Parts: sequence; C-alpha cells; structure tokens
Amino acid sequence: MNPKGSDTRASVPRHVACVMDGNGRWARQRRLPRTAGHRAAEAAVIDVIEAARAAGVRWLSLYAFSTENWRRPSDEIDFLMGLVRRTLRKHALSMCARGIRCRFLGVSDPRIPPGLARDIADLVELTRGNRGMTLTIAFDHGGRRDIVEAARALIRDRVPADQVTEESFARYLPHPDTPDVDLVIRTSGEQRISNFMLWQVAYAEWVFPEVLWPDFRAEHFSECLHVYRNRERRFGGVRPRFPDLDPELTDPLVKGSR
Amino acid sequence: MSVDTSAGQPDISILGPGASLNTYCQDARWGLAVIRATILEAAHPQIGAALIENSTFVAHPWRRVFNTLLSVQRILDADPRVRDREAARLNRLHARIAGVDPKGRPYNAMDADARAWVVGSLFESTVNLSRMSGVSMDAAEMERLYEEFRAILVLLEGNADHLPATVTDFWPYFEDVIDRGLENTEAMRIILFELFGRMPAPPLLRPYPALWSAGRAMAGPVISEFLKATLPEPVRQRAGLGELPGSHLLARGVYLGTGVASRVLPESWTRTDTMIGLLDPSRAEGSGAQLVTALRRQQDRAAALLRLLSPLSGDAPAEGSAARSADRFFAEVLDQTGDGYVSWPDLAAMAREIASRLDLDADGEERLFDAFAGWWRELANALDDDGDGRVSRAEYAAAASSLASPALVRVAEVLFDATDKDDDQSISAAEHRALFRTAFSRDVETSGEDVRYTRSEFVREFLAFMAGRKGSAGYDSLLTQA
Repeated sequence: MNPKGSDTRASVPRHVACVMDGNGRWARQRRLPRTAGHRAAEAAVIDVIEAARAAGVRWLSLYAFSTENWRRPSDEIDFLMGLVRRTLRKHALSMCARGIRCRFLGVSDPRIPPGLARDIADLVELTRGNRGMTLTIAFDHGGRRDIVEAARALIRDRVPADQVTEESFARYLPHPDTPDVDLVIRTSGEQRISNFMLWQVAYAEWVFPEVLWPDFRAEHFSECLHVYRNRERRFGGVRPRFPDLDPELTDPLVKGSR
Repeated sequence: MSVDTSAGQPDISILGPGASLNTYCQDARWGLAVIRATILEAAHPQIGAALIENSTFVAHPWRRVFNTLLSVQRILDADPRVRDREAARLNRLHARIAGVDPKGRPYNAMDADARAWVVGSLFESTVNLSRMSGVSMDAAEMERLYEEFRAILVLLEGNADHLPATVTDFWPYFEDVIDRGLENTEAMRIILFELFGRMPAPPLLRPYPALWSAGRAMAGPVISEFLKATLPEPVRQRAGLGELPGSHLLARGVYLGTGVASRVLPESWTRTDTMIGLLDPSRAEGSGAQLVTALRRQQDRAAALLRLLSPLSGDAPAEGSAARSADRFFAEVLDQTGDGYVSWPDLAAMAREIASRLDLDADGEERLFDAFAGWWRELANALDDDGDGRVSRAEYAAAASSLASPALVRVAEVLFDATDKDDDQSISAAEHRALFRTAFSRDVETSGEDVRYTRSEFVREFLAFMAGRKGSAGYDSLLTQA
C-alpha cells in the first residue's frame, strides 16, 4: 500500500523537514548564553537551504518556533523575535534571487511583534512568484492546532460526516498544496515529534543525527539524504522488499535502535 | 423652488451606450466636473448636511468620485436591468440618509428639490467644463444632454418635475438656486479649503507617501484654484473666495492643457477607466485588468523589497505596538467618515460600499444592513462607556482586543452569502473579484483556476482583518483605500 503512489525508492526526497534542535546545548557546552546558540543557528539554516537546493529537494520545511516555545523566558523570546527579523531581512534578497519561494506555517499569535509580522508578509509577497524550492518556515506552529483548525473549518462549512476523507480533510490544512514530508531530520539526537506537522509526517522517514543544530552543515545534510536513500519505504506495507537489509543497522547517523 | 409641471417627461430609454453623456463620462476630465458639481451640491444646505453627517467624502474622496462614475456607467449600461437596479440601489441608499443638521433643520437625501439640484449641478458642470476646454457644445447637443440628465432624474424620482423642462429655463433656475438656495456650508468649506491639501493618496501611490505629498503639494493648490475659479460668482463670493490674479487664466490653462493632451495622447490613455485603473488598480476592469493586476503585483513586490531592504528603525517595543495597531485600524478602517469617532454612519458606509460593489438587491441589502446594525449595537454596548452614542478612539483602543463578537461573525456570514452569488457555498474567483476587485490573495498557483474560498476560510479572514490582526489586500481595497 502506497498512499502516494510514488516510487518507494525515490533517490531524492521531495519534501525534507528539519527540527532544528540543540542550540541551547551547543551554547552550554561552550559556556555561552543560550542566545549565542540561537545566533549560531543562522549559519546552519543558510547552509542547509543551499544544500537542499543543490541536492534537488523541492520542498524544505524548517521548524523554527513552536506554539510551546512561548513558554520560554520572555528575554529569550524577545531575542528570538529580533534574531528572526534580522535574519529574514538579511537574506530576503538572496532568497528572492535564488528563486526560493518562502512561506510560513503558523504565525497567528498576537504576541508576534507587528514589525516582524510585516516583514514576514513582505518576504512571502516578494518570493510568491518564485518557482524554485519552496521553503516553509514553521513559526509559531503547532501540529495539533492545525488539525483542530481544519476540523473547525470543516464543521463551519457544514461538510457531512461521511464526506470527510483523508484527502478532503487535508485540503483544510494550511498550505494544502504541500506534499507529505518524506524525510524529517531532527538534530542533537533527540527522538521526539514535538507537535511538528503531525499530519504531514505520517509516512516520513526520520533520522536523528547526533550533531547539534549550530554545527549542522551541508555535509551532514547530504549524509541524511544518503541514509534516506538506503531506507526501504514501506508506507505501512507488511513485507519489506529487501528483508535482509535492516536500514537501522546501516544508518551511521542513527542513535541506537528504537 | 422652481417647479415646472407643464412639460412631458423624458423617456428613460434614451439612457444607454448611445447617450451623449456617455462620451463625456468616458473622458477622464469628467472627474473634475464631478468634483466641481460636488462643491455646488455641498453648498446646498440639505445636501451639505447629509454629506457631513453621513458621507465618507471627506475621509475617502476617491471612493466618492469613483462611485459616482460607476453609477453613471451603470445607468448608461446597454442592459436596462442594470440601469434599473442601479437606480433602485441609489434610492435605497438615499432613503437611509436623513437627520437633523447642527442648526436643527431636518435634512433628507430623498428630498426632491435637493435631488434635482444634484442632477442639475452635474449637468451645469459638464457644460461649463466643456466650454472651458475650448469646445463649446452647440445648442442641439446641450438640449440632448439636458434631456438625458432629466431622464436620470425620472429614473430616480419617477418624474423630472423639479427640473425645468428646457435648457432655456434651466439657466434662470440655476441662478435662482445659486442666489437663494445655497449657503456657505461646512461641507463646501471642507471640500474647498481642506480636501486637496490632505487628500489621501490613491491606492497606486499609497506605498510612496513622499512622492504623493510632493505631487499633491504642487497639484493640490492648482486643482483647488482651478475649481474655485470655475465656480459661479455668487458662490465664490459667499465662500469668501477672493479674486486671485490670474486664476481664471489658470483655470482655462488647466482645462485647455488637458484638452490638448486628450487630443495628442492616444485615446485609451485619457479614458476615464484607464485613469481609474491607474489610480486604483483594484477598480480596473476588462482587458486592461490583467495589465493592471500585473502592475500592482510588481508594485507590491517592489514595495515589499523596499521595506525589507530599508534599515531597521529601532523596532517598536512589543508592549505599545498592539495598542498602536488598534489605533491605526480605527483610523483606517472603522472611522469611515473621518470624524475621529465610530458611529452608525461609519458602519453604514461600509455596508453601502459593499452593497454597491456586489450590486445587491433590496433583500440582500437589507440583510447586510441588519448585520452591520447588529454589529453597531454590539460595539456601542461593549465600548461606548460614556454613552454619547459613538465610540471614541480611546474607548476603542481600551477594549479592542476583546472584540471576538457574535455580531461580527454574523456580518461575516451575511457577507459570505451576499458574495456567493450562485449559492454553491464557496466563493469563486469571479465572485471574489466582484467584492474585492482583486484576484485571490492567497497562494493559488499550484491548484490552477478552480480555486474557491470556503465559508470558514472567508469568515476566518474577515475576522482576522476586523480584529486588526492581519492586513488583507482585498479588505484594504474595500474598506481602507480610496
């Protein structure tokens, strides 16, 4: 069974998502304030965007800020908002020049400073017509919230219960044209979903490289793609095509076995 | 005032694409005639009071000019049903406008004399500005045009009894009203002395406030002097307008200049709809619309780039910003009449604009006004602390965040039903255009032509805009621009 009807061994994943974890630990290891870790993350983000584009990935999603992150100390939140704004402005032109279409997932909390909201809208407008890679930045995102919102919308539209299918439900999610995620990379070895694009990651392969996000570079990204290529995607099928090849044993990046 | 019942009524079937008026209102300069006529209308005490109390002319002058042109175009439509619908809509609109002016005199937009004056002053302005452009109308042409204007009055009133039967009789009537019927009203003073000095930029120039204010600083006084110079002498005297040396020459120069331009430039450039399309791309229609949409897109993109590249100017501290955006939303959206307060006329103006764009029938309009009235009751109950029947800026800012209101959801739903003309529970691209005069604002490129808004998306976007949380190109064009 393959709900996507696509090649089970696509050489390049169509949609890669990154959970950018480990900024705090990176800073702690260096006796630096947490904010230094966030600042160092910028280089990794730019590197990964370029690496993904070079590898032929058409959709890249980055988990920048979750609905749960609002619980962090207000100093850190203020810093993050400022950092995101500066980074966004710094790279807006090059995103546009490289033909990257930028989109945002979430961004509905009134606590987002209006200046940042304005810049986000401007970046989206500026790159709307681009047809290269689509970069989706999950900012103030929560997977459950998206699903609840979609359910609300279905009810408001008075869709009869028997007409609610997986396909019709998916059309109510934000950015319904986004394909399912093929590969999720979560750095720093943490193995949790953390409420990230819950619907879209249903059939995704996950890799958990030990490297912390600020140290994550193009070569790590390529390794993750390599792991993905060597995995057998089954989409819930019972019988792997190569039963002797357990992907977990061949993954150099996988921490232990689950 | 002058009443003449002896003559027969003109036949409204002369109103159509072949009407002589059609050639005038296709000419971009006719916009000046509309503004000039508005000054004469505003000097009429009944109309002046109605303008001040109910109209968004002061806060949204472009909208009033555009809507007048749209109304005339609809009245001259080849399809008589379009014409009749527009007349019925104008009548319903006017029927809602009545009250008492500051001097305690009642006013009513359905007053037959006042309405005759509106039509008459528009006729006189058309003739006058045509003469100043160097091409006087001949007698037969003027007769024909006058007959058409009287037909418009028949269309609205059922008869043209309040306008003299012939052009020959019109001029004494016109002078009589000027001498005895007009006053130095507040509405006229605002138009004459303030409007051009602080006229908001038309939508296309909105991202370039510096450019607009520079252009306005030069063109504003010229247009203003030009209009003053063309006014009848008694009106000028009453308004205390001195004889500025050379102003008549200036007036002639402006109009002659535009007259020459309209001969030299390609015809399509000087057409009213081209000008409107350029000034306000959201109103462009027909074949030029795609070009204008593309232009607007480019321009939005350029503006976005400009903002992103401009240096960060010490970002506003987070705590003050919510209140400030509520403040801006109040000024740009809620306070439609621009008097610093939100009261029923402001919300009625929104309903009026929507009803006009969607060309609603009487029932649809009634539902829309009911929904807006419900919202007004809710706003007044929740926010009008001092009970003066209006909501001040401070009252709004104090409680704006708690505005998640059932009446506003009701407005959104009624608006959805009104926009959803074919009743298929979704908004198609064409239906969306009718309301917002722009294409869908969200990403549609991947799904092709057949993209539709569902009720929930529509309601959500409306509520987000009305809570001041989120800008929207569509709602901006509908409620804040022009």
